[in-house]
Amino acid sequence: MTNSLSVFVLRRLLGALIFVVVVSTSALVLIRLAPGDATTDMKMSVADPAAIAAARSRLGLDRPIWAQAASWIGGLARFDLGTSSHYGRPVSGLVVERVGNTAILGGLALVMATLIGIPCGVVSGSRGGAGARVIAAASILLVAAPPMLLALALLYLAVTTGVLSVEPGSLLLPLLALALPMGAVIERLQSRATADTVHTPAFVAAAARGIPRARVVWLHSLRASLQPVLGVYGIIIAALFSGSVAVEAITSWPGLGRLMLDGLLSRDVFLVAGCALAGSFLVAIGNLTADVLRAFIDPRIREAA
Amino acid sequence: MRKTAVILVIGLVAGFTYYWLKRPAAPADTATGSPSTPVAGGRLTVTYRSEPKTFNRLVSPQLAEELVSRLTQATLLRMNRATGELGPGLAREWTSSPDGLTWTLKLQDGVTYSDGTPFTSADVVFTFQALFDPKVKSAMASSLMIEGKPLQVRALDASTVVVVLPAPYGPGLSMLDSVPILPRHKLAAALEAGTFAEAWGTTTPPADVVGLGPFVIQEYVPGQRLVFARNTKFWRKDEAGRTLPYLDAIELQFVADQNAEVVRLQAGQTDMMSKEVRFEDLAALQDLQKKGKVLLYEAGTTIAPDMLWLNLDPSAAVAKTRPWLQREELRHAISAAVDRRAVVNTIFLGEATELAGPITAGHKGWFLPDLKPPSGGAEKAKELLASIGLKDRNGDGLVDDAQGKTAKFALLTQKGHTVRERSAALVKEQMRKVGLEIDVVPLEPRFMIEAWSKGEYDAIYYAIESDSLDPARNPEFWLSSGSFHFWNPGQKTPSTTWEGKIDELTRKHSASMNADERRRLFAEAQRVFAEHEPVIYFAAPKVILATSARVHGATPSVFAPHLLWNAERLFIK
Amino acid sequence: MRAIFLLVATGLLAIVAPILAPHDPTTQFADKAYAPPTRIHLRDATGFRAPFFYKQTLVNRLAREYADDTSAPISLRWFSGGRVATSGDSTEPVLLLGADALGRDVFSRLVSGARWSLGVTALGVLGALLVGILVGGLAGTAGGRVDSMLMGASNWLLAMPGAYLVLVLRGALPLVLTTGETFALISILFTVATWPHVARGVRGIVAAERAREYAEAARASGAGLWRLMSQLLPAARGFLAVETVLLVPALLVAEATVSYLSLGFPDASASWGTLLQDVNVRVMSEAPWMLAPAAGIFAATLIAQAAGARVPQRA
Repeated sequence: MTNSLSVFVLRRLLGALIFVVVVSTSALVLIRLAPGDATTDMKMSVADPAAIAAARSRLGLDRPIWAQAASWIGGLARFDLGTSSHYGRPVSGLVVERVGNTAILGGLALVMATLIGIPCGVVSGSRGGAGARVIAAASILLVAAPPMLLALALLYLAVTTGVLSVEPGSLLLPLLALALPMGAVIERLQSRATADTVHTPAFVAAAARGIPRARVVWLHSLRASLQPVLGVYGIIIAALFSGSVAVEAITSWPGLGRLMLDGLLSRDVFLVAGCALAGSFLVAIGNLTADVLRAFIDPRIREAA
Repeated sequence: MRKTAVILVIGLVAGFTYYWLKRPAAPADTATGSPSTPVAGGRLTVTYRSEPKTFNRLVSPQLAEELVSRLTQATLLRMNRATGELGPGLAREWTSSPDGLTWTLKLQDGVTYSDGTPFTSADVVFTFQALFDPKVKSAMASSLMIEGKPLQVRALDASTVVVVLPAPYGPGLSMLDSVPILPRHKLAAALEAGTFAEAWGTTTPPADVVGLGPFVIQEYVPGQRLVFARNTKFWRKDEAGRTLPYLDAIELQFVADQNAEVVRLQAGQTDMMSKEVRFEDLAALQDLQKKGKVLLYEAGTTIAPDMLWLNLDPSAAVAKTRPWLQREELRHAISAAVDRRAVVNTIFLGEATELAGPITAGHKGWFLPDLKPPSGGAEKAKELLASIGLKDRNGDGLVDDAQGKTAKFALLTQKGHTVRERSAALVKEQMRKVGLEIDVVPLEPRFMIEAWSKGEYDAIYYAIESDSLDPARNPEFWLSSGSFHFWNPGQKTPSTTWEGKIDELTRKHSASMNADERRRLFAEAQRVFAEHEPVIYFAAPKVILATSARVHGATPSVFAPHLLWNAERLFIK
Repeated sequence: MRAIFLLVATGLLAIVAPILAPHDPTTQFADKAYAPPTRIHLRDATGFRAPFFYKQTLVNRLAREYADDTSAPISLRWFSGGRVATSGDSTEPVLLLGADALGRDVFSRLVSGARWSLGVTALGVLGALLVGILVGGLAGTAGGRVDSMLMGASNWLLAMPGAYLVLVLRGALPLVLTTGETFALISILFTVATWPHVARGVRGIVAAERAREYAEAARASGAGLWRLMSQLLPAARGFLAVETVLLVPALLVAEATVSYLSLGFPDASASWGTLLQDVNVRVMSEAPWMLAPAAGIFAATLIAQAAGARVPQRA
């Protein structure tokens, strides 16, 4: 069993590695193909063709695309991601700084969404009443509120009531904006899973044995729902990073999304590729973790992979 | 579903009700900080929006590099940015030969760099040697040439420097205010190796960036902060003999946008905003000033007003495809059609004056108050357009060219610069009223500059910072051969007679040593300029600056860095 | 059913936008910067009368304070100039949702922005369905190597966060585009980013269907790939209906994000995302009506989601 699990993990790791390299290299090539490049703004200060040519060659912009892509992949092995023309500093340093911020935001949002979504789902799925209806209504609203809109709404709330800090760099606002819609999705899934569970024979039998209902509900529905909920974590993680681009822009959270946007707008080839690398890395790690967890719980998945 | 809708409606209603209950209070007047005796110590937090790309001021002309240079380096002479007068810097006295060409500068005694190395005339000679070294490609070099020839700088002895101007020059030595004197002992090797342009990048250890300025770099965290600590070796003392600077440290916090800057200042988390106050924030800040939380300063009228120019290069593609774009009548039509009152009121909320040329009231004595923008409004504009064949030929309300094609041009402007984006949208709308279609294209500055330097554009709405009031310090704009002669830069010979006339007047007032004569000649140049309007100006806003109430000793200036040009005199109480 | 009707109605609304908007979305009214919403009155001192409003006069320019001039009531003008309702006074706009910084009518901008936002969404969904059905159907019907190749590609695209994918693809295009080009290219981007979702579902259904008797029979009788596919695809109808209503809100938000990050529609043809660019902390507290586009996206999302909840019962 341990053996098949480690083979599974290794295969997935390899897949993730290839994924990261291919994604970042294609980002590099795509941006390189776009019109305009990073030496453009030199022309105002140093209107000298020779200086610009020198800068282009220093930045490696005068070489053919395939050569750039090859040296990019070569550099990856040494964690050399090139130099950002926009910031004038190595991309690796910039990306590491920002990727941490995005990972903190995304990771905490995932934890928060789970901690809110699962219990709420169990409650709303296992019984009726006002509480369950309120949870369900809130969820339906929040599922319809993408992080971008929620960020704006929370910002408005913060501005008018002063409840939340609107200070750039404060974590709570972007965190809520990301976590609440995700939590709502998890709540809906868990609610359905729980509602299905309470009708299963095993559940009815357990309840008949005189075990307190609440305990049965929690135990059974949690076990039953682990699969479907874990199953969507891959999608949820991707959605988290998607949502975080807009949330970072709205709340001025210094994350990867903003950095990438800077890179795109200034045609900073290596910066964009570096951000794509870091972004795909985060997603790959997230997916890997979810997959391994699932495989750990359910051996059939290992065999299928 | 119905329940959700009800919740939604209630939410919206509640939001609007809240608005109706909460209306802003009346604004306060601008006041100034109370003078008091300086106290030493404290850390000043300043929000800033751009980051330096290098710590080497000679190779980069951006505002962030300029600020770092003002804080960490010193110049031979320093202009008092409130009065415009030249005062002592590293040179304590300066005298000229009778012809005004040869200047002898006596350096301050006992000055050392922040690392303790003594400062001598050799550093001055070294700095100018680096500046004019062709390999360095200094961004500053051209502003230190007179009629294309560099200044000659040599040392008489360790504490005396002789500066020779290659030609008679009205502004005299004022240019020395912009040249930071760099440490020879740190940078000579780089200059010899030909790597001076790359020296002092932002990854240089802070201890290696030594200077003669009031502060030294302590820490740089890209994207977050740049911290300056007091230079304990600083040579300037205040009038009472106290050591300068008063502050222990200045922290520049990099923030993404101006809203964040305002929020932080309002919350009392920072002491100063690097940029001028936006007029939409003014009412709120005036309220805070009344409550004693912030101080507002009115430094005067901007000297870098926004401008609109059309591509007048006769070799540009537009000259063939849309010759009407380069006609003088079009420029006058735009100038007449755009309601300057609307620009002042909508864009600057009334805190600006209407403007007819590049020189504003902020330029003090050089300003011509009687120079008025063309009158006649929309009617005059339509007439002018018709006179160059732009008429509505198909009844769609838009003017068409002689071939019956809708006349249209693209106006590039700086993306993310709210004032410029809005102004361009306003110009577009005002021109639509006279039937001329404009496409506004907001671009990242670098792409706009690329289009400009290739001459592949129709029109641009932009502004550039200026570092001097004296027009002779800005020949690149006025001379037809200049690189910032925006509408048609770098001409071999003037392509129009009026540009030739402006060239002649500019050379004359630049070479003249007589202040009245210079003023007269430049006034004439301004009138020729206004008559042909190669660049159209609409409004000149006030420069209003804000600090927290605990900051004292500030001397506001219309030049950037507005409040930090003499940072050694700021103190916190 | 009601929700589906609402969804269709929203689409229609976008098409008839120019009629519903009381003003031209680009007209800048003098001295109306951030003017609050005009209140429509039905009664004055003398009693009820036809809907009217009061002229808003500027009290304090710096603080953007306005006051109703009750001495000058202005009637609404109905069905004139190709608009359902507009102001009776051409210099005094009726601002149902207030004005923006340049004195433009936010309601008119919202209504005409719907055209771009909903249009690009509809086109993107259509593209995703077409490509997704084709690829998914092909993979499911052909099976084997074709299947694993096509599904491998779509799984890769699926694993990437959509926003990053769209941003990088958008970044590879010229930064400045005309409205028409923006419209076309963003629709294509959306298609590229979303077809795998459709393809994966269709492939699953078609592959399952292929194992059934009628398919076996068709294959045995020598039906070609396309023939077979056309027989298998109808099984995916229900899935496609659900997927459509799921994609609508996703792409609406994607459009808003791209335009908000100034990579989408220009100011002259502002979409909902473009309109949101003008919103920041200060504007929110001063002119909360500028958030109207966000409410628009939210409402459209809610409607689409409610429609989605109804679909399976029908299919």
